[in-house]
Amino acid sequence: MTVAPGEGDVRVWAQYDRDFHEEADAVVVGSGPAGAVAAYELTRSGLRVVLVEEGPPFTPGDFELDGALSMARTMREGGLRVTRGTVMPTMQAICLGGGSLVNSAICVRAPDFVLDRWSEEFQLRETTRADLDPHYDAVAGFLGIAPTPENVQGRRNLLFRRGCEKLGYAAEPIQRNVRGCRGSGECFTGCRSRAKQSMDLSYLPAAVRGGARVLSSARVERVLVDGRRAVGVSGRIVAPFSGRGGPRFRVSAPRVVLAAGCMATPVLLHKSGNLANGSGQVGENLQFHPGVAVMGVFDERVDPAFGATQGYQSLEFLREGFKLETLWAPPAVLAVRMPGSGARLKDRLAWIPNSAVWDAIGSCNRSLGRVRARRGTSDPQLVWHLHPDDVPILAQALFTLCEIFFAAGAHTVVPGVHGFPDEIHSLEGAEVLRGGELRASHLVLGGNHAFCSTRMHGDPARGVVDEHGRSHDLRGLWIVDTGIFPQCPSVNPMWTAMALAHRAAPAIAAGA
Amino acid sequence: MLGRLLLAGLLVAAAARFFAGYPRGGARYRHLSRREVAFLNASGDATFPRGGAIPASGSDANVAGYTDRWLAASRPRIRVLLHLLFLLVEHATIFFPAPGWGGWRRFTALSPEQRIAVLDGWRCSRYFPRRLVFTSLRAVLTMAWFAHPPVMRQLRVAPLAIPTPVCEADLLYPPIGRSPDAIRFTPADLSPPSDGTPLDLDGPLHPAWAERSA
Repeated sequence: MTVAPGEGDVRVWAQYDRDFHEEADAVVVGSGPAGAVAAYELTRSGLRVVLVEEGPPFTPGDFELDGALSMARTMREGGLRVTRGTVMPTMQAICLGGGSLVNSAICVRAPDFVLDRWSEEFQLRETTRADLDPHYDAVAGFLGIAPTPENVQGRRNLLFRRGCEKLGYAAEPIQRNVRGCRGSGECFTGCRSRAKQSMDLSYLPAAVRGGARVLSSARVERVLVDGRRAVGVSGRIVAPFSGRGGPRFRVSAPRVVLAAGCMATPVLLHKSGNLANGSGQVGENLQFHPGVAVMGVFDERVDPAFGATQGYQSLEFLREGFKLETLWAPPAVLAVRMPGSGARLKDRLAWIPNSAVWDAIGSCNRSLGRVRARRGTSDPQLVWHLHPDDVPILAQALFTLCEIFFAAGAHTVVPGVHGFPDEIHSLEGAEVLRGGELRASHLVLGGNHAFCSTRMHGDPARGVVDEHGRSHDLRGLWIVDTGIFPQCPSVNPMWTAMALAHRAAPAIAAGA
Repeated sequence: MLGRLLLAGLLVAAAARFFAGYPRGGARYRHLSRREVAFLNASGDATFPRGGAIPASGSDANVAGYTDRWLAASRPRIRVLLHLLFLLVEHATIFFPAPGWGGWRRFTALSPEQRIAVLDGWRCSRYFPRRLVFTSLRAVLTMAWFAHPPVMRQLRVAPLAIPTPVCEADLLYPPIGRSPDAIRFTPADLSPPSDGTPLDLDGPLHPAWAERSA
């Protein structure tokens, strides 16, 4: 059956009853922030666009408020994906809207020093502040990116500000793609207030309005090529959650835009016959922002369940290698890190109403890994090693979080680091964290954000795509997800990924 | 002959260790065996004993029931890994025995004090893989304990009742697994977006977490 694209629509699992073939001017693989922006902009430029997403769309009735059940439904591998080497959990969403459905909507522009480094070290002459700011602005205008309002910060976020102010550290309300936040702190399980402008509520409906067709529950298994040109994708329909296979499909298009994410795009290229890999860089250079979190306990009532999930941040230490931010998540997820067992553990959990959790993400450019395809599954094999020289960055971040907690009035800090005190009661006590004894295996890390597995580089021998996402090797192929970042951006990557996709769109539209 | 007798004795002992003496009856679960239910209750009560500031114990919170629901929502590979995790901690007392008499018995056969000591042994091990096993088990138990509504209410972290506005996307997506015919909204149902009024933590709770009236 051949279906001619017409008015935009969204197809779901229940509608697929046979194999099918579609034709389009562009096929976009992945509906996360970068893919959604690319699909919308290409539609706006008059192209017939088909967007393919492996996950289903979630309605508010599909949200699970329980953390583990939510992750089992919205995350690949049930949210239990880990890296080998340095063992670290890392997540990738599988739902329409990608990570934007279950992230905390943080939007930060890549700092000047990062863009300068990218431009100089990776021969990206047109990736400067002046080049990218118009694209950041365009995305901000569309999504309503704005600082988190004071009235929904909650004590947990405002205490962070108090601590930073006392120490003279810069701190600011986090800018987010949110309109009308009520402070439910439920960003990670889906925003019931429909305030978060995740892609399924913002760019994707706009793209559909413009004529884009969305195939949900459709797993792309191969990029199709004709000679040295990408000409479409093929794959299989998969049932939500179980992954049970359904009909097969093919989308023919002279423009193939991969936005499947830093961990899925290289697997797709490998499984398609090691495509676009003349440089040998596909799947290499994998980087994360490894994160650590610390809990502080106050005499005063904090009621951490109220307030923007992540409402305040400090960019004071970006050049030292870490960013600090406030945090909330389903309480069970946060409590997993609480030390002890038995009655002592329960006593500590009873602190929750008087506690706050803050975290740090590290810019660990020496810590590298790789992404490989695994047999019999579309899930990747991830190997990543925390470089010993990056451990002191995280040690300093942990200490600084303790410092801010004590400045804000905390009486106890729980650092959650193996081999160190379960509780710290003074800043002097926290000195042990940066005393040089800390090892990677002591840390309980979270693999926030992933980058660089299909990095852009001006030299085709050293990168997979150019700075507009265009493959150095294969005509008709673009990559726009965070895999194209040449190094970690030191801040949350979503806005930069969207800005890069926004910038790439005209080149894609013109470049069939 | 002696060798065969020894082998037969070992097999009987192994069978007794793995299968004998588990409680019979009780709730039936889709994915958990009664041995796993016993293990989850034992490890749940060791981690979250009854009493204290938040009275519910692991078994009060029905950690087994929650774990069964989680297994049902998980992919087959994850299910296999979790079954292996439970089996490992239940029987690893052969290699990492609890202090005191009979410390090599399976986890569920130990005294409550011995169970706590075994879990602390995993938690504080100098070997990272052992700590990782503990963290994995603790994660399962913690998720399950926190799913118990009274725990969430006592900590003031239970989800609130939040009205959900109807937006353009709600005209596009049916509930998961349903066809577009199941979309129950029309353009006439669109409602004003959230106005950003802060939630009141003392407001009504989500029905699933609200206290049942007598």
